[in-house]
Amino acid sequence: MAENRIRVDARGIACPGPITELVKAYRNAKNGDIIEVMATDPGFKPDVEAWIKRTGNQLLEFREEGGTYVAVIKVTAKK
Amino acid sequence: MKRRVVIIGGGSGGAILANNLPLEDFEVTVVDRSPYHYYWPWLLYVAFRGSRRPMKREIRSLLKPGVNFIQSGAQSVDLNNRKVVLENGKTLDYDYLVVATGSRPTYGLIGGHEKAVEKYGDYHSTIENAERVWKTVNSLKQGTFAIVVGGDPYRCPPSPLEGVFLAEEFFRSRGLRDRVKVVFAVPYPRPYPAEPMNEVVEPLLKERGVEYITFFTLDRIEEDRKVAVSMEGEELKYDALVVVPPHVGTDMKISPEDVLTTDRFIQADKFTNNIKGFDDAFVIGDASAVPVAKTGVTAHLQAGVVARRLQGEDARNNGRTNCPFDLGYGLGTFVISDYNNPVVKLPPSRFSHLAKIAFAAAYWDMVRYPELWNPIFEAYFEATEPAKLSKIYV
Repeated sequence: MAENRIRVDARGIACPGPITELVKAYRNAKNGDIIEVMATDPGFKPDVEAWIKRTGNQLLEFREEGGTYVAVIKVTAKK
Repeated sequence: MKRRVVIIGGGSGGAILANNLPLEDFEVTVVDRSPYHYYWPWLLYVAFRGSRRPMKREIRSLLKPGVNFIQSGAQSVDLNNRKVVLENGKTLDYDYLVVATGSRPTYGLIGGHEKAVEKYGDYHSTIENAERVWKTVNSLKQGTFAIVVGGDPYRCPPSPLEGVFLAEEFFRSRGLRDRVKVVFAVPYPRPYPAEPMNEVVEPLLKERGVEYITFFTLDRIEEDRKVAVSMEGEELKYDALVVVPPHVGTDMKISPEDVLTTDRFIQADKFTNNIKGFDDAFVIGDASAVPVAKTGVTAHLQAGVVARRLQGEDARNNGRTNCPFDLGYGLGTFVISDYNNPVVKLPPSRFSHLAKIAFAAAYWDMVRYPELWNPIFEAYFEATEPAKLSKIYV
């Protein structure tokens, strides 16, 4: 089965917008889904790292592309 | 010939916009399902102070003479053909449309949410539910009182913590503070989502002994076991629980449908409030997907911008917020920011609390007589620009 990829565009939204958008997407996701969040707020990196650490989901990749931060997350921790 | 403006929604955004339009140039029609305009921020004081102060007025009484009011919901909007079909069967044609339908709480996303509201109430939906919270806090003599943010977005970003601070003050004033534990849980990284304001409020939570849990994404409420369960299976035990409900956008049918987000907020230009792809249609206030706080002040300021744009000015939003924040014990602050400046670290003061209460007292007059209040607000917003304040409060 193809993995379900959920894209969240939170570019141009100030902190805490990107993390709240991620949480919104997470609510509707299932274990195994991939959430890809794009954000421009520099506060997004520490927030997403803390979110991963606390919730136990998996951060597959965090990259910066010309001022946009992209976090690729695999949902694994839902009970 | 007068241009026909149809405004769907008679709340803060809709009523203020209608009263700001010159009636010699515009034929203004406000449509609302409810005959009443509610001052929603007062639900907080109904819930945690038992206030009986009236918090609704008839929309008709708030509109200037000459503004038409139709009490009916809008069933559908056809943006391409400039038509609004009302629930009463009428069809309205317009030259300009403004959607100001607000946002509404939804209870379907969290298991057991509806039952919890029936039992303990909440302060983001109705007066009855806020009164239920007042009964809840009055009947709790020991145990854990929890407020949990159920999801984003919701009206009034400070409101979850305002409830926490007022509840803590209430239990202390009743001499129950050593027997009632106050717990606050949020899905984001810190008690107040924006960092600078969090630096103001987090020390107060610690000082007052309020426990808080971050990254708690509420999945379900198991009332029989009295636990709130997160998506990762973490459990929060409670004796009474108030959940801030996530909100969704309009329930009207809109075509084309692609102007709506998945949670039914209407996409618009953040500077002009034009609905995506339409220069004759706008959305203001909570109904929009524009990345600004869902508060009355936002609706008010956007209404002013749209009123000026309809009159041919190139007015633009700057994303200004100005959310009064009750910190309990007669203290308050304001959440002030704009598109170019992050939230200001405005310290707690008695003055900010008094300003919040004074604003509530002046609210109806402010909606009804914008010609008197606009200059006062303009002076206030200029004096409190975040770029200026951030130099003082670092």
